[in-house]
Amino acid sequence: MRKSLSGTRIREQRRQARLTQKSLAEQAGISPSYLNLIEHNRRAVAGKVLLSIARVLDVPVSSLADGVDSAKISDLYEAAAHHPTIGAEVAGVEELAGRFPGWAQMIAALYRQTRDQEAMITALSDRLTHDPFLAESLHGMLSNITAIRSTSNILTNIDDIEPEKQARFHTIIHEESRRLTDSAQSLVQYFDKKADPKTGIATPQEELDAFLEHHNYGFPQLDNLGEAPASNVEIAYIVNRIMAEGVSVENQETSRLITAFLQQYARDAQAMPQSDFTKAARRCQYNPSQLAHIFGTSLHAVFRRLAFQDPAQTAAPPMGLAISNAAGRALSRRPIADFAFPRHGNACPLWPLYQSFATPHVPTLTLLELPGQHKFIGLAIAEAQSSPRFGAPPELNAAMLILHHEQRALLAKWLPDLGEARPIGITCRICPRQSCTARTEPQILGEDIPVQTISGQ
Amino acid sequence: MIKRVLIIEDEPNIVESLRFLLEREGLEVTDQPDGAKAMESIKNTLPDLVILDVMLPNRSGFDILRDLHNAFTAPPKVMVLTAKGQARDRLTAEEIGVDLFMTKPFSNKEIISRILGLLA
Repeated sequence: MRKSLSGTRIREQRRQARLTQKSLAEQAGISPSYLNLIEHNRRAVAGKVLLSIARVLDVPVSSLADGVDSAKISDLYEAAAHHPTIGAEVAGVEELAGRFPGWAQMIAALYRQTRDQEAMITALSDRLTHDPFLAESLHGMLSNITAIRSTSNILTNIDDIEPEKQARFHTIIHEESRRLTDSAQSLVQYFDKKADPKTGIATPQEELDAFLEHHNYGFPQLDNLGEAPASNVEIAYIVNRIMAEGVSVENQETSRLITAFLQQYARDAQAMPQSDFTKAARRCQYNPSQLAHIFGTSLHAVFRRLAFQDPAQTAAPPMGLAISNAAGRALSRRPIADFAFPRHGNACPLWPLYQSFATPHVPTLTLLELPGQHKFIGLAIAEAQSSPRFGAPPELNAAMLILHHEQRALLAKWLPDLGEARPIGITCRICPRQSCTARTEPQILGEDIPVQTISGQ
Repeated sequence: MIKRVLIIEDEPNIVESLRFLLEREGLEVTDQPDGAKAMESIKNTLPDLVILDVMLPNRSGFDILRDLHNAFTAPPKVMVLTAKGQARDRLTAEEIGVDLFMTKPFSNKEIISRILGLLA
């Protein structure tokens, strides 16, 4: 089972501060034996004690608290899983992250870079095989080359060609050469746009993620469009301005994704203007059903409005969001501390996100527990994306809003008793719940967490 | 008797060079750039040889090849001339029935020699 990391961090910080356990314990107002247990991760530390220790060590509480490195640790576990023959000591991952955060960060960064590059190679390989633009370009170039080769061969090897015909063949060579040049230039531009060497970001979805992170997931320009509904032209103008001011986007597919996201954001903002929404959200304690009723929107729209906003602007609790289509493809994501969304591969099938497809249009509210005992409140619903049509299957997307369980007091008025927490993971490969019946891939952690409640769900 | 060749190809400059080379050999040449009109041209001209591209507008060369075998008990000879030179394309053409499969770009000397061989 995953241990707390706080003790390891405290020990490292104390050593860096050249303090003895006795001295730190005295200044923090606790006994040296208690501090010893904390430092060896045998006692949890939080609240006033953690604050006192952080104050004595002169470091931010967040640098000692659990969970701050969960994403990094997940990456380290994934890195070990990705190179099983190396035999990395997976049992010591958390120790590594706690004692050598810089090295851990570097390994995690290198691993992410490798995975991104692998994903890019796969994507490029797929493109070479299936991309209609490439197929058409290459076919066109071969046709140009065929005409040039055949015509020049005639001019070179046949003497008795009439002057008019000779001139015509010269014209053909000139025309086809120009077309060949144009095709080659198009191909070069096409490949140049495949990767951004500055950031290493390769896929359009990751570029969208980077764009949203750059803007803190909120767009004040679109939040208050005024009372009168903005026209599509006005929205398009603002969207273009945001894109021009943000990170450079050259990939057409990325540009399409960002534009679609911002247009959706604008529609949500028009239906739920920022100031009204913020007041209403506080008044009804962020109850999505009530907000959907007040503003006459879908729950998905409310989820998006709650998750995609800059918390600094609204003082709302941070909320994560995952949206997926029925095939499990991630369409949109807004990460939240301690709840990592897998960058590659499939997420845990026990997420309410996926289970909501079994009962479309029925909202679910579930207490979730990740390995490491981090608890979250998960709200999920699958909704049709277009009007139903006879004889056509519904186009369902599912959305899952995630809040830290610690924020439950903010929802106290409407939050029912959530009962026992559902054990879930992030992805199978780094999930220690070895006997989970939903497992699709072997895990590499070498430890087990009892999952008595999973098989019955 | 003069042999007739129908070139079904949508690249006019390739048609022009092929026409020049074949007419020099005493062959009568017609062409059709539209895949959908290929069968009509074949029925109208009754060529001894069809030179058939695969990637054509409106109807693919493989579909035309199938149409040809369905429409004639003794179809004209067919040479597939294509930029799609992968093994599976060659296999597809051979499964439907083709006399010769050549890829672009081609050598003038070789293509003329192979065509004259087919028509001999």
